[in-house]
Amino acid sequence: MAEDNMRNRKEPENGRFNHGMDSQITQEKPVKATMLQKDVGLVSGVSLIVGTMIGSGIFISPKAVLLYSGAVGPCLLVWTGCGVLSTLGALCYAELGTMITKSGGEYPYLLEAFGSIVAYLYSWTTVMVLKPSSFAIISLSFAEYASAPFYPGCTPPAVVIKCLSAAAIWLIVIVNCFSVKLANYVQNFFTAAKLFIILVIVGAGIVLLAKGNTETLSHAFEGSPPSVGAIGLAFYNGLWAYDGWNQLNFITEELKNPYRNLPLAILIGIPLVSACYVMVNIAYFTVMTTTELLLSPAVAMTFGDRVLYPLSWVVPVFVVFSTFGSANGSCFTAGRLTYVAGREGHMVKILSYISVKYCTPSPALIFNGILSVFYIIPADINTLINYFSFAQWVFYGLTTLALIVMRFTRKELHRPVKVPIVVAGLMVLMSCYLVLAPIIDKPDLEYLYCTIFIFSGLIFYYFFIYCKFSWASNFMRPITMHLQLLMEVVPPEKNE
Amino acid sequence: YSFGTAMELGECTRNPGYQEADREADRAADITTTNGPEESRDSTGVCLDSDAVEYTQIKPFAGMPKEVLLLYSSQARYRVPREILFWLTVACTLALVALSITVIALSPRCLSWWQVSPVYQVYLRSFKDSDGDGVGDLQGLQEQLHHFQYLNIKSVWITPFYRSPMRDFGYDVEDFKAIDPLFGTMHNFEELLAEMHSKGLKLIMDFIPNHTSDKHRWFNLSRTRDEHYKDYYVWADCNATAPKPNNWVSVFGNSSWTYDEVRGQCYLHQFLKEQPDLNFRNPHVRKEMIDILHFWLGKGVDGFRMDAVKHLLEATHLRDEPQVDPNKPPDSVTSEWDLHHDYTTSQLGLHDLLREWRAEMDKFSREPGRYRFMVTESYDYHEVDKTMMYYGTTLVKESDFPFNFYLLDLPQNTSGLWVQHLVHLWMSNMPRGQWPNWVVGNHDKPRITSSAGRRYIHVINMLLLTLQGTATTYYGEEIGMENINVTQSQIQDPAGKYNASASRDPQRSPMQWSGDMNAGFNNKTNITWLPVHPDYSRVNVEAQKKEEGSLLAQYRFLNTLRQSELPLQRGWFCFVHADINVFSYLRELDGLDRAFLIVLNFGKESAVTDLSTVSELPDQLMVLMSTDRENDGKVLHKSRILTAAGEGLVIQYSTYTRFNPSHPMQCYVSEKACYLAAIDILYKC
Repeated sequence: MAEDNMRNRKEPENGRFNHGMDSQITQEKPVKATMLQKDVGLVSGVSLIVGTMIGSGIFISPKAVLLYSGAVGPCLLVWTGCGVLSTLGALCYAELGTMITKSGGEYPYLLEAFGSIVAYLYSWTTVMVLKPSSFAIISLSFAEYASAPFYPGCTPPAVVIKCLSAAAIWLIVIVNCFSVKLANYVQNFFTAAKLFIILVIVGAGIVLLAKGNTETLSHAFEGSPPSVGAIGLAFYNGLWAYDGWNQLNFITEELKNPYRNLPLAILIGIPLVSACYVMVNIAYFTVMTTTELLLSPAVAMTFGDRVLYPLSWVVPVFVVFSTFGSANGSCFTAGRLTYVAGREGHMVKILSYISVKYCTPSPALIFNGILSVFYIIPADINTLINYFSFAQWVFYGLTTLALIVMRFTRKELHRPVKVPIVVAGLMVLMSCYLVLAPIIDKPDLEYLYCTIFIFSGLIFYYFFIYCKFSWASNFMRPITMHLQLLMEVVPPEKNE
Repeated sequence: YSFGTAMELGECTRNPGYQEADREADRAADITTTNGPEESRDSTGVCLDSDAVEYTQIKPFAGMPKEVLLLYSSQARYRVPREILFWLTVACTLALVALSITVIALSPRCLSWWQVSPVYQVYLRSFKDSDGDGVGDLQGLQEQLHHFQYLNIKSVWITPFYRSPMRDFGYDVEDFKAIDPLFGTMHNFEELLAEMHSKGLKLIMDFIPNHTSDKHRWFNLSRTRDEHYKDYYVWADCNATAPKPNNWVSVFGNSSWTYDEVRGQCYLHQFLKEQPDLNFRNPHVRKEMIDILHFWLGKGVDGFRMDAVKHLLEATHLRDEPQVDPNKPPDSVTSEWDLHHDYTTSQLGLHDLLREWRAEMDKFSREPGRYRFMVTESYDYHEVDKTMMYYGTTLVKESDFPFNFYLLDLPQNTSGLWVQHLVHLWMSNMPRGQWPNWVVGNHDKPRITSSAGRRYIHVINMLLLTLQGTATTYYGEEIGMENINVTQSQIQDPAGKYNASASRDPQRSPMQWSGDMNAGFNNKTNITWLPVHPDYSRVNVEAQKKEEGSLLAQYRFLNTLRQSELPLQRGWFCFVHADINVFSYLRELDGLDRAFLIVLNFGKESAVTDLSTVSELPDQLMVLMSTDRENDGKVLHKSRILTAAGEGLVIQYSTYTRFNPSHPMQCYVSEKACYLAAIDILYKC
């Protein structure tokens, strides 16, 4: 199909803004099935993992680990330990991902191992709260860091932060709706930026080490050893910095050669992140004492001012880049879960449709974007969302449990990657701890509300999925139809 | 749905009414583009293709596949909304970005921490004793940090805790980089600082550049004429018996020259003879001082109060200073009031030193949220313009503000006009765009509660916390502590030992925390370095926390109000009225309909104030807060505002007409900002 032919048409139905896309299609291959393309290679996979895991935390407040572990030595050990644990967790996910090559993160595994209800509750919680709120929070921090340099000594006005984060959300959604490739380029670019600034910090740290700034590091193990409880809290906080190691499982279907690339990306990505975290921490310790690090409102900025001046402005700029990249990664994978849940009938069908022209799950992305924008409106969403975070570890635990369960129930499935079952057991135990630790530490009523919200999903499940009321589908059908026509989305074609 | 069933449902549904030729071409085109690998799709395509030419129409349905969808999706009723929605989203995104950038560009500079909160002065010896030796210490202060949080105070200035022989209670420093064991250890200090920072408090410490202790290593090396240190101090030839090099007198009385037997020369001391003046014309001394600044800034100290800066330099020619009374015999010139200090204070080069220190502090201010604050101490009395020099110029920054000591004169004549005069003195002389501040007490001056009288302390605190600028609160002012009576034998202050009437002990009595032993200052033993004021059972923090309408409660209310209300924080300050009793001003912000009228009665009798000539005020005024709790919430007519002697009113009112545009001469603002209620922001205007 020649491009000029398209243009010659009286009424170019593709609209004005997508000639570029047309030409892209023509250039690559004349025929492209309306489905999510296998666009994500190894590099993009690694950059998705690294880009989502490394957010702003390591630059702004890598404090909690140090606070609980007490001294430099234990702190670095905890960072390393967290890296090992995340790698083990991710290896479990690699087994699951190569065994059940479906997108949607934990969802297909829970569906396979525990059935519809658990998977439904997972998708309900994640689609409605966890994913959009984390997208919202990352965008909010992006906006905060982007505007902070203009407001020295005080916090930027709420209107600036909210407008900028809403703009970021829309921009990212638009980019993701247009092209998976473009979204990947964005991801790769910002991950590269992120690694660059880490490289700068680590490089500066090495220079300073060579110069002999080892005062803080030489007393690494001074002081009383931290208690077991404190170590636990340090791990709890450290593991949050590593959250995001399951990102690639959300897009298994879009990976080129998932059997090779999924485990490989995990094995490259997570140790890379661990190495970055440990080295950045060492670099910080070359110019800051532990107290200074604990007190700094923005650790990397303090580092930048002390070491890189007069080029210290690069640090905030790249931290902004880094958060933007994380937001993009978060949006990219969040859309996939909504899409898969819709495909299985656990969300409205339209969410599983994909764009005819761009082969992106645009309804799912837009839905996620709209929810995220709603989440940035309330004054303080952070506190509420923090209470929901325990749910995240419930699902991680259930997923690794699913791995163990399926070793017995689904022996016949081919497992290109097979982790020792002990590892999965360890992950289950760790998840239990991470779920219970904060609740026991501070048993707030809010945890109960969150649980109630999660289980309230069952009401919808009962009415719309279990009973399948006909009036519901009668009601949805015209809406779906019109939305389809409006957004030009269709159910994905099967290509098997 | 699988694709297959969908197609079966949809394909070849007839619609004879459909005959648009364009459609056919479109569809043919589409089917060609989507020629998939599957057999079924090919056949479908063919089927559609052949049928559509004449009569076929497939109705859209939920879950329709691409082929069906494309038949309809380009209809105007879908295409137009789609495009509109798309461009709307793009426009919306751009608008949000544009709005953010506009707001950022228009935002006025935000207030720094030292502007938002009062500065609370802790006289460390008297604040809280943790170890039972009768003298306050760093750990004691750390135990009481909750007091600042309770009062919503963010900036705490701690009087010196350097290692010192305590001839002038810490203002004679033996080692600028060590903590005196009396107050604790360096570890205690670091803990205190960390704890303060984690509570969001800022620590301001004293920097004492003018002199050191005579026990300082530099002085010992200087008096032995060590090559490097011999010019660290100001030495002049003289001998034990012969007259001093000139007639200069020390602040504490008598000649400022003392003969040193070791070196056989006289050294200069503008304060005690145990406090030799450093020679700031020596570059090594200047460098040492910067090193000391770095040392503490590096530890994370948030600001410095620069002690006695006007004395930093002296004229090198060492000529006699002119006598105030030329007829007075030179021998009887022993007090600082006897001379015009033309050669010993505010010498050329002084501001260069301060600017250099300011620049060093600015280097440490670059880190986010770590602005380092500088305040200077200089009593210039009637030469207010000399004080204003410390603000620096628009091009070169110096201190953030020099202490405004003029309100210390308030007790001289308690009347509305007098207070207005003192406030006006500062406001009218302060360089444009600078930030005022107000002091009514410190460790060198009698407590305001005693000197002005107990009945005025409420209204004085209200004045401080509602004026434009930063208030300074000397410890105990928030509960109305008074001077103690110190008998001759009890005198601790070295200056008081020379001259009992100059003793500064009365204002340095231990902080009154509770009605317990030693007023809660020292719970361990029954000693305090100075006696506790006998009224402590009534005047203490614990009691006033419980009592509604207490001075402490009012302080807390006003300080919280000030930090939550933009007009009080950074709005206009306008003189409205002053008479023999009442001083009245208002605080307003352009664009904000909420404003505050403050009516303070400093007189000796109750007064009725008529503000009916102020047309910007509404007729009915409601009292938000009165120092007399009875009057809270009262509604007054603006022509009859009744205040008792020593009563102050904060009146909050709503208006859409601002006072400042029509009375520019009566109004002051540091940095003009306007409020935009629609999106809750401030902008430059």
